[in-house]
Amino acid sequence: MTQTIISAKGLQKTFGTFKAVRGLDFDIEAGTCVGLLGPNGAGKTTTMRMLMGLSGVTGGELTVLGKAPENLTRTEKSQIGLVPQMDNLDTDVSVTENLEIYGRFYDVSWEELAVRVPQLLDFMQLSDKAHARVNQLSGGMKRRLVIARALISNPDIVFLDEPTTGLDPQVRVLIWKQILSLKAQGKTLLLTTHYMDEAQRLCDRIIIIDEGRVLDDDTPKNLIKKHVSGHVVEVPKTELSTFKTYDAESEDIGNAVLLYVDKVEPYAAQIKNHPGTFYRPANLEDVFLRLTGRSLREGA
Amino acid sequence: MNELRDFILVTKTILRRNFLVNYSNKWTTLANNLGNPILFLFAFGYGLGAIIDEMGDVPYIAFVVPGMIAYATMFTSSFEATIGAFSRFQFLRTWDAALATPVRLHQLLMAEIVWGALKGVFAGFCVLLVGTAVGGIVIFSKLWLLLPICLLASACFMACGLVATAYARWYDSFSYFFTFWVSPMFMFCGVFFSVDRFPEWLQWVSFLLPMTPFIGMIRPLTTGLPIDWVQMALQGLYLVGLTMFAFWVAHRKIKKRMFD
Repeated sequence: MTQTIISAKGLQKTFGTFKAVRGLDFDIEAGTCVGLLGPNGAGKTTTMRMLMGLSGVTGGELTVLGKAPENLTRTEKSQIGLVPQMDNLDTDVSVTENLEIYGRFYDVSWEELAVRVPQLLDFMQLSDKAHARVNQLSGGMKRRLVIARALISNPDIVFLDEPTTGLDPQVRVLIWKQILSLKAQGKTLLLTTHYMDEAQRLCDRIIIIDEGRVLDDDTPKNLIKKHVSGHVVEVPKTELSTFKTYDAESEDIGNAVLLYVDKVEPYAAQIKNHPGTFYRPANLEDVFLRLTGRSLREGA
Repeated sequence: MNELRDFILVTKTILRRNFLVNYSNKWTTLANNLGNPILFLFAFGYGLGAIIDEMGDVPYIAFVVPGMIAYATMFTSSFEATIGAFSRFQFLRTWDAALATPVRLHQLLMAEIVWGALKGVFAGFCVLLVGTAVGGIVIFSKLWLLLPICLLASACFMACGLVATAYARWYDSFSYFFTFWVSPMFMFCGVFFSVDRFPEWLQWVSFLLPMTPFIGMIRPLTTGLPIDWVQMALQGLYLVGLTMFAFWVAHRKIKKRMFD
């Protein structure tokens, strides 16, 4: 009974001569949490904005709930909440007023808001800030308020564009917990992030994109299985000359080389003899770096 | 009519939002709205009034008060449509936030126009109070007509200001708008003296600026000068047409800028 609610076919977006998105294909089923991963400038935010109808589609096809995003009716649009990458809260009014104004845009009645606003503030642990002005809030509180705001119409679909970037570990843990609770409520979530642990923890499926194209699209487990072997052995270059690699797949990361190995046993003795060497289970970060390369982005 | 219902919902919400933001500055707003015309009337009324007894068959103070009402209305709504709206568009990004909800761009812009028009009318009303206090209102029986006319003119200035906002790169771009749009309306449209003192070509330019028909419509209402209803209807139509045209241009450009 999986139902596709978001579908992109050959989706493209061009700004002037710059091709931000060059042919994305993906489907998102109801009730799943999908991660959209990619380096800076990969086209994640642009894709999110197109999904919200905040940015026009240059080419290809994009449907949300079976329609082009700009053709969604008021009721359909009310089923979608957005946590934008940049906090665009109303800094001149209070926390509660922010939620009320937003709720009214969705036509949530005042009676309903009287119930929902305190609930959402509690959900995001902001109850004691209900009457504070937004410019008195810390970065983490603002982010939580943006998430609460995205939930004001009780949407079935929530887009979260880098919900935890730049936040301290405590706030990240709280946000993860609440995202998982949204998932448990059966909401469909699409999330962009730069944190691989976050994606691995929250997402049923991960779409890795770069330069506006899909590089791979699978469950976190399958991605690891497909692209990196079970373990990673990191060997400093100074010790490489005496270290037998047995032709394992490798990657140069500057001062060291990563070996992707199925089993660590054949290397165990060597690892003991080479004090600078260590190994760990392969994770999504390794997949990401393998797929998107190690060079820095944004002209760095 | 869903469209009408949505427009009312969006407008009410935006009025509430902008009112909440402005309410914290209420004393500043009031002090400026009242202080500005007092200073102007003091300087011009007494300064120029000492040299000029009458202008167009009415005492100079009675001539200049409707001009000042129009100026306050024009300046306030022009400011709101540019600096105010641009802040919500590019700086605070509250437009982005609103458009992520079911709110559509044209509804948002129309709501902005209603808000700015009301703010302009409020500024004009403050001048009316000051003008009444200094004896600048000759007849009171037609004052009620000021309300719809000021609302219309203010909406027109809002729509024109939104065109500037649509094309502005950043705040400094508005210096063009204030130098070549607001200032000429202050100087060439009959605020302080009759337009017919200008050479004919300049009169034509001045008649195209919305301030001239606006002042032309309201001056007879407070001074008791004869009213040409046909001319007033034509002036009103011109403002309606200009508002619609400016709205169309602003909406088109802002849409392009936000969505393309």
